[in-house]
Amino acid sequence: MRSLLKIRFVYFSLLLIPFFNGIDLNAQEDEQEKNSVGLTIQYVKIMDGDIYFNVKATSKIKKQFVQVSDIDLFFFNDTDEDRVELGKMTTNAEGKGRFSLKNINALKADVDSIYNISIDFLGNDQFEETTEYLSFKDVEINASLYNEDSINYVTATLTNPLTGAPIPDAYVDVQIKRMFKSLKMGEEFNVTDESGTVIVPIAEGIPGLNGELTIEVVLFESDDYGTVKAIINAPIGKQIVDESTFDERTMWSPKNKTPLFLLIFPNILIFAIWGIIVYLFLNLFKISKN
Amino acid sequence: MENYDKLLNDLAPKKFSKLGVIWTSFLILVIIIGVIAYIDQLIKGQVVTNMRDYALWGIYISNFVFFVATSFVGSVAVAILRLSDKKWRTPIVRIAEIITLASIAMAGITIMIDMARPDRLLNLFVHARLQSPITWDVIIIPTFLAVSFLLLYFPLLPDLAILKKYYEKTSPTASKWYGKLSLNWTGSKTQKKIQTKSIKIVALLILPVGLVLQTIDAWLFSTTYRIGWDSTNFAPYFISGAFVAGVGALITVIFVVRKFRHLENYITELHFDKLGKLLTLACLIYLYFNINEYALPVFTAKKGELTHLDTLFTGHYAPLFWFVTIGGLLIPIIVLLFKKGRKPLPMFFIGLTVVIASWWKRYVIVTPTLLHPFLPIQGVPESWHHYFPSLHEWLITFATLAAALLIITVLVRFLPVIPIQRTAEEQDKLETEKNTK
Amino acid sequence: MDKNKTDSRRKFLDKGLKLGLITAIGGIGLSKLATKLTAQTDQNSGDKMELMTTDGTIIQVDSSEVMEMEHTPKHDNSAAIREGMPNRKFVMVVDLAKCKNALKCQVSCNKNHYITGDNAWLKVYKMQETNDTAPYWMPTTCQHCDKPACVTVCPVDATFKRRDGLVLIDNTRCIGCRFCMAACPYSTRVFNWSEPNQGEITLALDMGEEGQHISSPEHAGMPSIKGTVDKCDFCPHSIQNGELPHCVTACPNGVFYFGDKYEDTVTNGDETFRLSKLLKDKAGYRLMEGLGTEPSVYYLPPVDRLVDFEDGLEQYNEFQSVEKPE
Repeated sequence: MRSLLKIRFVYFSLLLIPFFNGIDLNAQEDEQEKNSVGLTIQYVKIMDGDIYFNVKATSKIKKQFVQVSDIDLFFFNDTDEDRVELGKMTTNAEGKGRFSLKNINALKADVDSIYNISIDFLGNDQFEETTEYLSFKDVEINASLYNEDSINYVTATLTNPLTGAPIPDAYVDVQIKRMFKSLKMGEEFNVTDESGTVIVPIAEGIPGLNGELTIEVVLFESDDYGTVKAIINAPIGKQIVDESTFDERTMWSPKNKTPLFLLIFPNILIFAIWGIIVYLFLNLFKISKN
Repeated sequence: MENYDKLLNDLAPKKFSKLGVIWTSFLILVIIIGVIAYIDQLIKGQVVTNMRDYALWGIYISNFVFFVATSFVGSVAVAILRLSDKKWRTPIVRIAEIITLASIAMAGITIMIDMARPDRLLNLFVHARLQSPITWDVIIIPTFLAVSFLLLYFPLLPDLAILKKYYEKTSPTASKWYGKLSLNWTGSKTQKKIQTKSIKIVALLILPVGLVLQTIDAWLFSTTYRIGWDSTNFAPYFISGAFVAGVGALITVIFVVRKFRHLENYITELHFDKLGKLLTLACLIYLYFNINEYALPVFTAKKGELTHLDTLFTGHYAPLFWFVTIGGLLIPIIVLLFKKGRKPLPMFFIGLTVVIASWWKRYVIVTPTLLHPFLPIQGVPESWHHYFPSLHEWLITFATLAAALLIITVLVRFLPVIPIQRTAEEQDKLETEKNTK
Repeated sequence: MDKNKTDSRRKFLDKGLKLGLITAIGGIGLSKLATKLTAQTDQNSGDKMELMTTDGTIIQVDSSEVMEMEHTPKHDNSAAIREGMPNRKFVMVVDLAKCKNALKCQVSCNKNHYITGDNAWLKVYKMQETNDTAPYWMPTTCQHCDKPACVTVCPVDATFKRRDGLVLIDNTRCIGCRFCMAACPYSTRVFNWSEPNQGEITLALDMGEEGQHISSPEHAGMPSIKGTVDKCDFCPHSIQNGELPHCVTACPNGVFYFGDKYEDTVTNGDETFRLSKLLKDKAGYRLMEGLGTEPSVYYLPPVDRLVDFEDGLEQYNEFQSVEKPE
């Protein structure tokens, strides 16, 4: 009897060991601190275009900010009923990425007409899991170009897409798209009036390829609406004239574009002199044959 | 005929004396050391020199310019003297032609030593840009080399034929070689006609080609913005400098050859007197250009110019500058104005001084300018503010100079240093003139 | 007998002249052939491709510039690299009123081009024209001149001027004659006198998009080659990604502006201006204008200084421009 009890005791003890081990493992996990990832999300909507989320993942490791590359992020649309998965995106080598949707109709708003997005990072060996939340309302920008007294103006009206109500006191940037950063037009702050409209003059003589300028009317990183851009393609630019000497014959061109004077005269001289030299060598030959 | 035999005996090449063998061995030794240093440079890169980003050209380039300058002697001694029909030039023309050939050959080799990527040498031909002064250099140097070779070879043919007969019994192998090189010269009317015409052409050709060579050499510097180089004066300045260097080298070599081959009857004191006057003329012209180059800018005293002139007149390069100007230019002029100064021995020392001064003059042209660029020298190690050649550079440079001397030595050993045929003809003429009087 | 001699002479002359003519023509033909075989065509494909970079910017790239991941022979790319981007003319504006010799520009340039020699490509000079006039800090890069003296004197076409204004170096062609360095009045070129020990660069090259150790004129210094010349390249590798050159982004004081002159716009990353207005309002000028090199770098005079000149003296090291590892 005692031996049987002993055996059972031993048996149960043995069963408990994994749990102890398990507890030990957990303790180790607590000691090994994973770093946390910070996600910066920028929501951008292009009028008559797609919408996208610019993501930047960083982490503070050893007091320095590092890019977190190659992690998967899952996008969700949180509606009143449900959490709808929208898709997945992976950050690139610089910890950045973009998640696009065709347009805002792919999303469902809640009762207050607010769109709620959540982004999940499920964590990995190095980093803890985290979820980032983002909310925004939809807004429409209607922008157009007109000319008065030979000055070009851009007029933009911000409205609520559902009610049509104007949105006053919004800060709008009107800028010309350039290679690196856009060139701002108008005042430092262009504010919409009671009718949700702002009018900005376009400076004269701005050059554009083939006379085309791409004008962007931007509501930039507003708390309520995110970033919304309306794009106008305007043929009001000054024609770009290529001043490059690349196609010309110059002293600094490659050899297939040598200046003609250098191509002709030195070569004539060289061939004349070497012609004489060859003739003289032939004379040596003639002497030896005689 | 007795005279002719004596002539032949005097002028035919002779075996080296012990001194000659020692001299040649010494030159070969210097060359071998230089080659070893060059191989080290190839392996480690040009960091073994003391050139850095500011002193980006050093004695390899100034040595190159020196060789190009010395090669002008062919144009002077052969062409200019021929055009002015100076009869006394006959005994010296062969030596002049030999010096020219040796100098231009070493110029071509020296410039390749300065290239940091000699493995890409072919790029200079395949990808050549005609707009670049270096391409002009790449064209003119082989051209001048070909012409100076022809300038030596055509007049040599009759002499080679003479030597073939001369050595027929005493040295059959030598005789065979002289025969081969003489291109079956028999002195026939056809051959003579071709030869005379060819010599006329080549003598006419070497002057403009020589002038173009010196001009392009100068343009390597004066096509840049640098103060001290950006001078419209540079091309004629270099031409006159080449005149000085060439004649100086000629005098020095002639003295040595005359002494060791006992040619006092052929190269007489008259020749030294004439050469002395020629050198004086060259130095006076060079002095004129030096005044234009160094004295005149003091008048407007532009800041950049003044910095340059200060380093030369009173600054870091003053000792060298005054040595080359006074020792290499003014003193020769003064000494050579006196008949006593134009005797052979003083002439030898003057010639030697002129050659050494010519070498250092080119150093004074290349280096100081590079060390005062437009923007201040900042952000680089202190040693980069100065330049003095490293051991590698000296060893390699000595090797090139030794190679030039070796070429001259070998050619002097195996070729008649004074044209035999021509001298014989001239002596005949003198004889007949004497007899008919 | 004489007639025979004359005839044979005539025949000889005839043969001789024919031979000479053939040699000359053959020589010309051969050299032309050699030129053609190795010639760089000055055509580019003209096709454009729209690509999206990893941070979402849409860029237009000449399709001949798009490289596949496997090894592409140098030949395909080299003509496009030598021509550059069409309808662009890159310029830089340096605001001397803001520079206080922080040297972050130099550090960033040295780091991103793996410069390990003793001479940086970007140097901040301590300038003072004369004792009466104000001292100031002057950052200089290669000026990418429109009449580049360095390109004119290069005998082998190793350095070249592109359509978009950049002057670049093909380190696989350079013969190390250093004539370009002698010709440059801005002393901006540096030379690799020895094997450049760029140790960590091999790691970067392995991880890079190219995946090859081929040096490209568009990313100078990757790698540097012994016995050739290097200099500032205006970072075409960054420009192609829609990014500003490293010195522009690194400067904490916004001293460097960069942009396309044809767009009349320059930016330092934070502020964006119309180039013509900036130069007019602040009296921009170019270095050594009188030499006629037509540089692409404009300077704004040190007026209404934001910082004192003396604040920069602490960072000033007369004898060092490249930090060396301890």
